[in-house]
Amino acid sequence: MKRHANIVLVLAFSLLLATAGRARAGNIVGVVEPQGLRSAENILVYVVKVPTLSVDTSQARYLMDQKQLTFIPHILPVLVGARVDFPNNDEVAHNVFSLSRTKKFNLGSYKPGGSKTVVFDRPGMVDLRCDVHQEMNAYILVLKNPYFAVTDKEGRFTIPDLRSLEAQGLKGVPTLAPGKYLVKTWHEKLKTVKQKVEVPANGEASIVLNPKRGAPGVLYK
Amino acid sequence: MARHKKIMVLACAFMVIGSVAYLQRAQGNPADKDPEKASAPIAVGRAVSPYGPLADARVRLPGQDDFTLTDQQGHFTLKGPRPWHTRPMVTAGKEGWFNNGAPLGRFGLVGDISLRPVFLADDPNYRFNSPKVCFNCHSKVTRIWDKSKMAHTTANPKLLDMYYGTDAEGNPGRGEGYRLDNPRSNGNCATCHAPSAAAASRWSLDLKEVLNSPRTEWEGVSCEYCHKVRKVVPDPSTPSGAAAILERQAPRRGRSILVFGPYDDVVVPPMAASYSPLYDSGRFCSTCHSHLKRLGPGKTWDRGKIYSDDEWAGFGFENNTILPIQTTYQEWKHWQESLPAEDPNKQKNCQQCHLSWQKRLLPYENFVVDGNARRMWGTYRSPQQIRPHHFEGGTKAQLQNALAMEIEGETQGNELLLKIYISNTNGGHWVPTGEPMRSVLLLVEAHDSEDKALKLIRGSRLPDWAGVGQLGKGDYAGLPGVVFARVLADEAGNLNVPFWRASKIALDTRIRPKKTVTLEFVFALTDPEDEPTGEAILIYRPAPRSMAKAKKWPLEDIPIISKAW
Repeated sequence: MKRHANIVLVLAFSLLLATAGRARAGNIVGVVEPQGLRSAENILVYVVKVPTLSVDTSQARYLMDQKQLTFIPHILPVLVGARVDFPNNDEVAHNVFSLSRTKKFNLGSYKPGGSKTVVFDRPGMVDLRCDVHQEMNAYILVLKNPYFAVTDKEGRFTIPDLRSLEAQGLKGVPTLAPGKYLVKTWHEKLKTVKQKVEVPANGEASIVLNPKRGAPGVLYK
Repeated sequence: MARHKKIMVLACAFMVIGSVAYLQRAQGNPADKDPEKASAPIAVGRAVSPYGPLADARVRLPGQDDFTLTDQQGHFTLKGPRPWHTRPMVTAGKEGWFNNGAPLGRFGLVGDISLRPVFLADDPNYRFNSPKVCFNCHSKVTRIWDKSKMAHTTANPKLLDMYYGTDAEGNPGRGEGYRLDNPRSNGNCATCHAPSAAAASRWSLDLKEVLNSPRTEWEGVSCEYCHKVRKVVPDPSTPSGAAAILERQAPRRGRSILVFGPYDDVVVPPMAASYSPLYDSGRFCSTCHSHLKRLGPGKTWDRGKIYSDDEWAGFGFENNTILPIQTTYQEWKHWQESLPAEDPNKQKNCQQCHLSWQKRLLPYENFVVDGNARRMWGTYRSPQQIRPHHFEGGTKAQLQNALAMEIEGETQGNELLLKIYISNTNGGHWVPTGEPMRSVLLLVEAHDSEDKALKLIRGSRLPDWAGVGQLGKGDYAGLPGVVFARVLADEAGNLNVPFWRASKIALDTRIRPKKTVTLEFVFALTDPEDEPTGEAILIYRPAPRSMAKAKKWPLEDIPIISKAW
């Protein structure tokens, strides 16, 4: 009986530690429940405006891969000034380009094994295409601050997404200071929704967003 | 016991040797990793013909990307990593000659590769092979072609309705019809919609004659029709201004089928294959993706209001007696010719997009033949060398990425200004292209913060032919927006007439390749402090609403893209 009690105690302590790690102060956690979409994945959730923040982006590298006639990831949020590599890991040549006003470029055709880089220096949406494979399409969303996240298959997100930021070379991004923020969504098939959120001094803010199918709005008005 | 030991030793030795051989093979040719060996000569030889040495023949190891050209004496030196096959083949091909090959010798020597000329002996009585014959070896590519529009160009229901003047239910005398206006003429539709049949007939054909024929190769643009095209030449007597020169020849050697194509390394018994650069060129498509109407003696039209001198010259037209009905080929050609040499889009051709790989066709294939044919004659190729024959165009998937749109808004006092930017991102021709009954509609709307529609005070509205009637049924006339289309008109000024009635072009607002069109719409704001919203949607429409209603064609609008501000 005593042995069982010890096990329960250890389990409870482990749970406490795990929960403490997740529920960090200054985070916005939530879930996006889209209507009219098969998957809740790949929806950008971002904080529109934050107090002035200095982030060292010199080491940041982003990757937009090309495999099996698909850009991976489908949505790539980056910070203004980001360098994005476009490796071709497919079996056929690709020609990445964009005619978006945020960033116009054309990398020309390059064979498997090749890679090219583009710097994104203005905030806004960049509609990526491949000139020879019409169905290849992805979006680079150039954002003004690092407080954004892309939803997983269940629509869940945490802002800031420190794991992704660190993987991209952005270290030392602080959690959000207590205060009121405006959070917006972006997905190419969903109407943009926005919601005000208050981040408390202790603990995290939690929200649920319900965008409907429709025309997406601009990132910044 | 001693015998067992001997067997064990032999078995171990066999396993060790086998493993080493396997590992060497799995690691590939060591020469691949050694740049010196990679550029070393691996084959030296000569291409010859019955008339002597053959210069400028393309020589390669089958399926490899790299090739070399023979010199004036027909000599070649092929460099690169030596293949691990013990006795691979070296092939040669040249336009106008049948491909051939010779085995690569032990010391890199190749015997003379003898190429025979393709004799010009087109036989109008030749009976094209049915695609079913091609299916025997090229089963996957034939299947892809069979699902394409190219395989069913004759049985296209809209074509038949426009040809006979019927509606979707087969009722006669509904809307326009070529045969209604020209009861004594079969027209020249079969030239492109049933080219095998048209090539076999000395007279123009009625489309039902073609469809009722037991000749399965007559329906659509069949495999053998295309692969019997030796040359494309200018020909003012055809609707496109170009004609395909065929070589319809019965097998001269065994049962080999004469085919022209983009491969110079196909050297297999069932095919008498001849390399042709035409199959890598947009010119190949020009025989059908161009439709010009000659207005007749003394008749002209004022093209200056519609096309710039540069565009008109780029189309290759000299005077105003030609009415361009379909100019997909000319649009691509003009675009390509206007690009500087260093432009990344230079050299892009029709085949690169319309015969490219698609996700639905994955995994990638490495062979163009299947089954037993692959085991006997298959050449391993990079997927880059293989062209799935889907000929996709005008489909939902393709249209949704042909254009891109952005929207920007700004409030100025009592006005909301919406700027719409529409780009032709992926069309190597104007969008929409082809048959002029097609159009792309832009619809724009603005609302105040209480979702009340705002009134347009500056900007264009959609014309009547965008559909007068119910909004929910695709009738958009009068709404803020723009139409992108080439609109044909007759002498009386009627719009959207079929080509045989057309005498001029009323407008051509289609979007040029890689160009962005900027449009402005100004809406009245009731409250200058309000936070209004704007929305724009692009819709592809295969036929004008009035024509679709007369023909009882269902509403087939395809939403391309929508954006909000």
